Amino acid sequence: MNRYLKYMAGAVLLVIALAAMACQQDAEPPAQSTAPTAAITAPTEPAAMTAEATAMPADSESTSMTNQGDSRLASVMSRGTLICASNDSLAGFGFADASGNITGFDIDLCRAVAAAVLGDADAVEYRPTTASERGPTMQSGEVDIMSRNTTWTSSRNATWGNFAPTMFYDGQGFMVPKNLGVSGMMELGGSSVCVQQGTTTELNLQDFIAQNDLDIEVVVFPDNVATNAAYTSGQCDALTTDRSGLVSTRAGFASPDDHTILAGTISEEPLGPVVPHGDEQWFDLVSAVMSMLIYAEAYGITSSSVPTAVTGDTAIDRLFGLEGSYGQEDMGLSMTAAQDVIRAVGNYGEIYDRHLTPLDLQREGSRNALWANAPCTDCPKGGQVYAAPLR
Amino acid sequence: MTELARILTYQGIPVWRHTRVIQWAAQILSAIVVVALVAWFFANVANAVQERGISYSFSFLSREYHTPIGDTFVPYEPSDTYLYAFGVAALNTLVVAVAGVILATLLGIFIGVIRLSGNWLVSRLALAYIEFFRNVPLLVQLLFWFFIMLVLPPERDGYVIAGQLYVNNAGVSFPWPTGTGQPIATLIWLILAVVAIIAGFVVSRRLSRREVETGRTSYPVLLGCAAAVAIGALGWLLVNAFAGDAPLAISTPEPQGRFARIDGGFTARAGMIVLLIGLVMYTASFIAEIVRAGIQSVGRGQTEASRALGLSQLNTLRQVTFPQALRVIIPPWISQCLNLTKNSSLGLAIGFTELTSVAQTMTQLAPPIPIFIMLMAAYLAMSLTWSLIGNLYNRRIRFS
Amino acid sequence: MATESNPAPPPLSSALPPPRMSVGAAGWIRANLFSTWLSGLLTVTSGAVLVLALWYGLDWVLLDAEWTVVTTLGGQFIIGSYNSEQACPGQNCFWRPQAALLLVTLLLGMGWGVAAGGLAKRIALIAAIAIALLAFLPYSLDKMGLDVRLLLIANLPALLAGWALARYTALGTARWIVILSVAVFLITLVLLRGVPGVPGLQPVLVQNWGGLTLNLVLAVAGIVLSLPIGIALALGRRSNLPVVKSLCVTFIEVFRGVPLITLLFMSQHLLPLAFPQNFPVNPLFRAAVVITLFSAAYMAENIRGGLQALHPGQAEAARALGLPGWQTTLLISLPQAIRNVIPAIVGQFIGLFKDTSLVYIIGMVDIVRVGYRFVSGNTQYLDNAPEVFIFISLVFWVFTYGMSYVSRHIERQLGVGER
Repeated sequence: MNRYLKYMAGAVLLVIALAAMACQQDAEPPAQSTAPTAAITAPTEPAAMTAEATAMPADSESTSMTNQGDSRLASVMSRGTLICASNDSLAGFGFADASGNITGFDIDLCRAVAAAVLGDADAVEYRPTTASERGPTMQSGEVDIMSRNTTWTSSRNATWGNFAPTMFYDGQGFMVPKNLGVSGMMELGGSSVCVQQGTTTELNLQDFIAQNDLDIEVVVFPDNVATNAAYTSGQCDALTTDRSGLVSTRAGFASPDDHTILAGTISEEPLGPVVPHGDEQWFDLVSAVMSMLIYAEAYGITSSSVPTAVTGDTAIDRLFGLEGSYGQEDMGLSMTAAQDVIRAVGNYGEIYDRHLTPLDLQREGSRNALWANAPCTDCPKGGQVYAAPLR
Repeated sequence: MTELARILTYQGIPVWRHTRVIQWAAQILSAIVVVALVAWFFANVANAVQERGISYSFSFLSREYHTPIGDTFVPYEPSDTYLYAFGVAALNTLVVAVAGVILATLLGIFIGVIRLSGNWLVSRLALAYIEFFRNVPLLVQLLFWFFIMLVLPPERDGYVIAGQLYVNNAGVSFPWPTGTGQPIATLIWLILAVVAIIAGFVVSRRLSRREVETGRTSYPVLLGCAAAVAIGALGWLLVNAFAGDAPLAISTPEPQGRFARIDGGFTARAGMIVLLIGLVMYTASFIAEIVRAGIQSVGRGQTEASRALGLSQLNTLRQVTFPQALRVIIPPWISQCLNLTKNSSLGLAIGFTELTSVAQTMTQLAPPIPIFIMLMAAYLAMSLTWSLIGNLYNRRIRFS
Repeated sequence: MATESNPAPPPLSSALPPPRMSVGAAGWIRANLFSTWLSGLLTVTSGAVLVLALWYGLDWVLLDAEWTVVTTLGGQFIIGSYNSEQACPGQNCFWRPQAALLLVTLLLGMGWGVAAGGLAKRIALIAAIAIALLAFLPYSLDKMGLDVRLLLIANLPALLAGWALARYTALGTARWIVILSVAVFLITLVLLRGVPGVPGLQPVLVQNWGGLTLNLVLAVAGIVLSLPIGIALALGRRSNLPVVKSLCVTFIEVFRGVPLITLLFMSQHLLPLAFPQNFPVNPLFRAAVVITLFSAAYMAENIRGGLQALHPGQAEAARALGLPGWQTTLLISLPQAIRNVIPAIVGQFIGLFKDTSLVYIIGMVDIVRVGYRFVSGNTQYLDNAPEVFIFISLVFWVFTYGMSYVSRHIERQLGVGER
């Protein structure tokens, strides 16, 4: 018996030791294949050595501005992957397909950042995050970026992190079954409305009820499976969420024509990626990548027409690092980062068409067209998609 | 060397071999290690909290919450404070926990008893029930019941039973007493009603003791109930006479407006029903096994002797087997109550606004760390209360 | 024996036949279904309920339900996103969990070879045959390749190899099986995790482990680690050293008193703050730690129950024989205490396995989450959530029922409750 106990104790210790080892592996860059291609001024110490890095404040190589002595960019570089908090269950924006790949509009924004920083759009590690978990996730500083249909609000900006340029303009609307004969939002008094928990929609609905003094019963669910099931079964009379969500949900119904999306919105929902507080360089970088996507479309450059030699158009040449600069060095980007980005994920219009057009989300004439006098000839214009010019 | 050894002795024994010394050294060492670990943990957290500008103050508690809470058992307005909203949610959890424990215990005893019945089919069904519900994660079961609930017709064309009971996929509505605008009269009658129940209890205790002592049939339960009803009714009449109005009115559910939403009465909403069904079915399968083990732990001779004395099967179970089995049943039963209370936190998956769900919503606009500290404290308080009840009861039956 | 006052029994041939209603099928029905009017009523009611439930249930399962969502997700249910292009670019990684499964089957075969009873044989055969049968699922070849099918069928020879190994080599002892089990678990972890620089074994992030494999890995890690921790806590709680005792009581009560969900939230929010910003505390490790500690607190209480039930005479006798305290505990008290509470311990293991479905909270994609995120994100399947959950319930049921079946068998073999 004594001997067996010794063996068991030994085995347990071994398991603990190996489990610890298995978990330490993450600290090392996973494979040399994902080594950065971009020439960046970043320290070469692996991220796991944070303790040492902190002990040496005069880390001369680092362009870091944080007092931790280890910038977000440097840790992404040494890790070799970008950690992206994402949705894994919202059609079009971020969801798992039949083979288990996470795809969608928001996902491509993360891929664009990975392409810019690491030269490899696939070097992304996705962290599926629920709506109510995302605030604490951002605050914990564990993720490099969150691109998860998140509405930019002032309080979130103050507590969660910095919001990069808005990449999708949305507004909250209502959907009702046609046979109820409701023709406007103000007729919803006396109804019950399904809403998803932990979202701005929940708060906006409360404001809408209070402002208009309507008697609406609010039924809250934690996710869109339950919310949609409750709506289609008639547990509540109306469904409220962002209009994009309403359109894509309705497209999935067996008989979409039985449901009406009521005219008008009750809120502003600018959606965009968020980065953690405390590293301005990283925030600037992510913002610049969003600008690249938008301006590539505005200049008419698609993933198949990325220039590699000087074109003579100064704006295009500057964007793709062929002539002049828009501050790449200060952000820690390689001069030609935009080439990698556009080649890997395409411009804003391509991303939109790939993921959102199939869901019946018309871009033409919507707020998600490019700004009115964008230089391109044959792109949707007259909308609000706009970002800091790259110069 | 010998000098050193002499100094290092305690009561004539070298210190490194003295049990007392070793034990205390070990204790002090472990205490230091634990305190150091905890201190390191919290120092790091405090440091990170400061560095990353995360708020950890409890000042948000007095702010207005401004978010709807689906199910409430006490009046709640969106303009109420975070603290009050937290209390409302805690009450939801508490109601579900208490109702769940009562129902699960009843169902568990029933299943456990018929599991031992001589009827082959019934006993097999009980076994099938236990083996299914015990072996599937509660989360999956809750989602399953959630979708079953949605099969019911919607509120606007739901079932109406006897014009009083409304059953639909938004919930079940039934008549419920409400105050009549005379809170003092209502309060007086409620106090009288409590007195009536206590009196009924005392009467039944007295009578049953007399029954045991003298052997004469005294109908303790019947007469106890009669006493309670009589005092309650008398109180009602008196209050009615003095206040000029009945202390309580019955509010009946009624469909209202173009959406035919049901108003009045009491509505147990779908989320709560699903959570209760799920928790009760799940926990009952564990309680059934506990009950079975308890009954089987009572010697066979006990049953045989009581049957030989002429007690019916039901009476044998009620008066001989079960009281003895309780000793074995209570400790694991308490831990099931504890589990049920904690499992109610899964209500967040099916849209019941219990404590965890509301706390999670709160983290949207308030600092998460204080909220989670409150959350843990609330659950700990509930769990420890269960443990306390269990220990008290356990002590009583052990020494009686 | 027979005296004058007792007349001799009548010869057997002249005895009356038993009443027709007490033998045969009719007799059985009467005795087991309609012995009293109450019993008869119960039989009729429950029979009616059963028939109705079966009728509607089968009607739904066979006619109304849309099972394509389950078949579409096939491999994801087993391993989540592990074999996706994102997790394992440019390669087929599905063979890695399959190879690990082969090792497990080998162990099962060894168990069959070593054990005397029929239980190990039954379990080993049923498991291996069921796995091999999966190779004949009616998927097209491009959905489920020949390599996948062959590796599934290979479980049968692996089982036999294990059996032969145990029978004809020195490895056929219980001790070796324990050692090899630990080895297989570690090899599984390494196989799934991958080794940098080894072709075919490219690293796959633990964030991409998923499906049933994730549930099993977490459950096994939790079971293996929570038992020793639980024993330590139980002994600590019963110790007469005040500091140790109060530490153990605090730990047990805190972890037992709070829902696992809340603990997982805390690990999500608080733990990262305690470590440097860039220190990766990977979610698998975090989930395993939380589940293990939670389970250990329960385990401690189970074992304490067993220790309390033990007659003090046992320990006293051991002390009287001159055994030191720690040997008394390890060799006399603990083995008997654990034997007494095997059902409770296995019940706890089952609970632990079921609780692994809560890791979706910290972003891990277990088998439940695989189904959930898919129906949610692919709106054409939004109506098929019930099918997914019924399928997942079945999968869980198979495993947990197997565990409780084994536990009952061991219980009977050890004769618990028969002394």
